[in-house]
Amino acid sequence: MSDPDRRKFLATCAIGGGVGVVAAVPLVRLVIDPAGKQTVSSPREPLDLGPAERFLAEPTKVEIIAPVIKDAWAAARDVVLGAAYIRRVGDTLDARSAVCPHLGCAVAFDRAKNNYLCPCHDSRFALDGAKMSGPSERGLDQLPLKIVGGRVLLTWERYKSGQSKKEPV
Amino acid sequence: MNRITAFMRERVGVTGTLEIQGGASFAYVFGKVLVMLLVVQAATGAALAAFYSPSSTDAWASVAYIQDQAAMGWLVRGLHYHGGSALVVIAGLHLAQTAVAGAYKKPRELVWWLGVVLLLLVLAWAITGLVLRWDQHGYWSNRVEVGIAAGTPVVGDTIQKLALGGNDYGNLTLTRFYALHVIVLPALVTVLVVAHIVLARRHGMTPMKSGNAVVPRWPNQALKDAIAMAIVFAVLLAFVVQQGGATLEAPADPTRAFDARPLWYLRWLFELREISGSAEQLVAMAVPAIVGGYLIALPILGRDNKRWLGGLAGLFAIICGLTVMSFVRDASDDDLAKRLGDATMRAGRARAIAKTYGVPASGGQDIWSMAPMWKARTLYAQRCASCHDETSKDRKGPIIAPGHGNRAWIGAFMKAPSSDPYWGKTKLANSEAKMAPVNAEPAQLEALVELIYAQSGATDVDVEKRDRGKGLFEEMCTDCHSLTEGVSGSGPNLAGVGTRAYFTSFISNPKSGVHMGADSSEMPRFDEELSIVERDAIAEYLVWLRTATPVDLNALGPL
Repeated sequence: MSDPDRRKFLATCAIGGGVGVVAAVPLVRLVIDPAGKQTVSSPREPLDLGPAERFLAEPTKVEIIAPVIKDAWAAARDVVLGAAYIRRVGDTLDARSAVCPHLGCAVAFDRAKNNYLCPCHDSRFALDGAKMSGPSERGLDQLPLKIVGGRVLLTWERYKSGQSKKEPV
Repeated sequence: MNRITAFMRERVGVTGTLEIQGGASFAYVFGKVLVMLLVVQAATGAALAAFYSPSSTDAWASVAYIQDQAAMGWLVRGLHYHGGSALVVIAGLHLAQTAVAGAYKKPRELVWWLGVVLLLLVLAWAITGLVLRWDQHGYWSNRVEVGIAAGTPVVGDTIQKLALGGNDYGNLTLTRFYALHVIVLPALVTVLVVAHIVLARRHGMTPMKSGNAVVPRWPNQALKDAIAMAIVFAVLLAFVVQQGGATLEAPADPTRAFDARPLWYLRWLFELREISGSAEQLVAMAVPAIVGGYLIALPILGRDNKRWLGGLAGLFAIICGLTVMSFVRDASDDDLAKRLGDATMRAGRARAIAKTYGVPASGGQDIWSMAPMWKARTLYAQRCASCHDETSKDRKGPIIAPGHGNRAWIGAFMKAPSSDPYWGKTKLANSEAKMAPVNAEPAQLEALVELIYAQSGATDVDVEKRDRGKGLFEEMCTDCHSLTEGVSGSGPNLAGVGTRAYFTSFISNPKSGVHMGADSSEMPRFDEELSIVERDAIAEYLVWLRTATPVDLNALGPL
């Protein structure tokens, strides 16, 4: 390539590239914006699940209903976030998130076998949440639960899936 | 005709005719059929986009509307969904044909690579499309797919956040997948398809037939192409009609387990994960990379080596085998069949409700609240059934069932209040405070029944009988009961018994002096447990039960 041609080539690239970069900056910024944000949020206060005596040794499924949830531009009341299984262990209650720690599917309590089954990849969990079989890296996640004045207060938390360490999202 | 052709040629700049060495063949039709299928996807997609609403509240509702209410919506949606499968099948055949013909070899490497990339884009298209329906299938499949992507070392977390549009599934998840599905991927596919075709035409067909006969593409090959397109479209259409279009499960429900299975053409990966145990994350990442790598490397490494083609055939056989294994595994699982049956029933129910009553503005997951008395029945099942349902082992109170509180029920109660269906299971029935059976002539009993029945506000009351009942009530019942509102006695106050307000009051506090009283009631108070709206809903249900039959109850459908 001769020198004048090379100069023209470089100038074309510079102009084209410049326009591209200027156009791309706001575009990319917009597209990645939600990645760093808490786009779906609900109050962090514990949820009142009613009197403790309603929970028995066999796990009871409770739906976690957020009084209000903000989903990007929309807000909605009484939205179901997920489910937990609560069972009585002596004097205390044990709450397990129904979110499978493997890839986040909903596990269900299998009454016939007295353990939990995740239908997506057949992970099984014992009554106490411990992993029995299947690909899950850890047992069912225990959720923070308190009994105050005879009433059950549960804090809903999501944990990262697909790893052996229990770590909040 | 010739003049028009000449006119166009001069202006468009196309000269000469494309020619095929060795003659026209049905082996060459697949590319054209793929273009036809892409056009079908574009046309059906545009029609669907005119109905679809990508938000977490409206997505399922709009798809259900297309499926069950818009004219031929099910057919268009079915063509779009199964058309995606057809794309994968024909793309597979196209790939096989070009591989066998050796069309990946120099100088056609770019054509081959573009084809491989297009195949990947078609799979991405399917994945981004499935989540848009926001039903149990789309939602849970996407959770698994994004979950797998999130397992990528280092960048997994970022990928997940970018895919979901934030920290969790929501409006931004749908708008993102929608933008990918209907703008980004179609634009990319269009550009790459054009490049693929332009390059393929530049190099010409790789002949599969021997001989030097050269025929023009038009009309020899064009006729064969048209026949193939017609056959494929006819098969697609017939399949869609036979299947009743695409499936639509119940709305996405983050609390309810669902047996999420990937689309059939990704089943082999699902099966591979299934059988690879703890190595599954590695397998999920590595195997697609190996298969893709093999296809990319074919033109370079396998240029003059027949064994590479054999390897490709082997790979294809393994993929087919794994796919079959996955379906066989599922088919032999009775528990799974039962769960899928339940899911299908819920889907049908949800769609029937959506069609009849509409989907609430709060979103598909609240669809059940639109069914008559669904909320009340749910609460009843959770909070009342264990003590009041006929089938409950732990029943502690009177049976509540269709016909509860009608004339027959009241009459039988009066004759034997402490019998099993009534107070029989309660402590009250075994105590001094229990009610004595009403000892009266049949005509008197009938009048008393009518009086109590009239309290419910029923419109079919026999006024004369009721008025006779009043006198009898004064004589026989007022030691314990009263019909004057607010008066407490040793037995329940019966003013307005059977009305919605009465039931709400009773459920709120059965231990109240006007109801059972603190000593005679084992039933807990529900005024703190349940909101007034919930108590009222149960009361409405109890009123409904009075005139309902078991058939009516059944017709409300499952919970």
